[in-house]
Amino acid sequence: MAATSMVPPWFLGYNVLLEVFFAVITLFVGISALRLYRLSGQRQLKLFGTAFLLISAAYIAESIANFALANYIGGAGSYLSAQGIFIFGVVAYTLFFTTALVTLAYMALKIKSPSAYALFLVLSLLMLVLSSNIQYFFYVLASVLLIYLVFFYLRNYLQNRKPSTLITFIAFLFLLFGKIHFIFAINHTNFYAFGHLLELIAYTLLLADLFIVVRR
Amino acid sequence: MMGKRRDRLQIIHDILNAVREKNGKIGPTNILYKSNLSNKMFLEYIDELLQKQLLIEKTEKGKKMYSLTEKGFAYLEKFSTIVEFTDSFGLTE
Repeated sequence: MAATSMVPPWFLGYNVLLEVFFAVITLFVGISALRLYRLSGQRQLKLFGTAFLLISAAYIAESIANFALANYIGGAGSYLSAQGIFIFGVVAYTLFFTTALVTLAYMALKIKSPSAYALFLVLSLLMLVLSSNIQYFFYVLASVLLIYLVFFYLRNYLQNRKPSTLITFIAFLFLLFGKIHFIFAINHTNFYAFGHLLELIAYTLLLADLFIVVRR
Repeated sequence: MMGKRRDRLQIIHDILNAVREKNGKIGPTNILYKSNLSNKMFLEYIDELLQKQLLIEKTEKGKKMYSLTEKGFAYLEKFSTIVEFTDSFGLTE
């Protein structure tokens, strides 16, 4: 398993700030969903809320990894500890985010089969862990899962045409575009920055969506 | 013309609203009538609402009565938010 930094030098530090911002937004979305689940008992709310809490944990791990890297490049900390924290952070990010996307896909499938969910999850995580380049494999896997989710949210919008469902669809579309950019970032580091900017748009849209809903 | 089939959230809302309309206390026959459910479905929903502590069951003068809990009132208050959230994020069952 290999993990490499894809951050262009000029973007170092900004990526950490963005990742913390993403962690806060997704934490907010997750908590909101779980509070409504507590009232309603709606299973889909529990799955959605849990997925977003996992995404938040993923971004926290990624921001720690990138902070350690930025710190080391800035002259603080040893190479070994920075490398250790970076690899741990990257692996934690990919595992948390994969679990989150699998959970969202399971929610979107609307099936009630814990064994199907477990199988889906174990297969995905096993493939990640056994891959020679965890990051590359993760971005490809995430893109495939997000393609399914984009179509799910497109159908949701077409069945229930209103601003909030359209915003959700567009947000997931930007998330997909972001993840696709990261696939190319391995060889072209500027794509890493574009990927973050696309995710910024996606999460800002989700936050706007949440405000529209919660203010009713 | 037939109305749109009620989903689970709406049915729960209708049951809790029926209780609220009777000043927060109602007998099972009244709820069954107001909720427009079959007896089997009604019993399943009441059981769920009791388990989730949205309703409590008491016996008054030998009669079973159902009352709203604080959580039940909160559900009614937040109902439109719950519906908007589930619609926006495709979370309907």
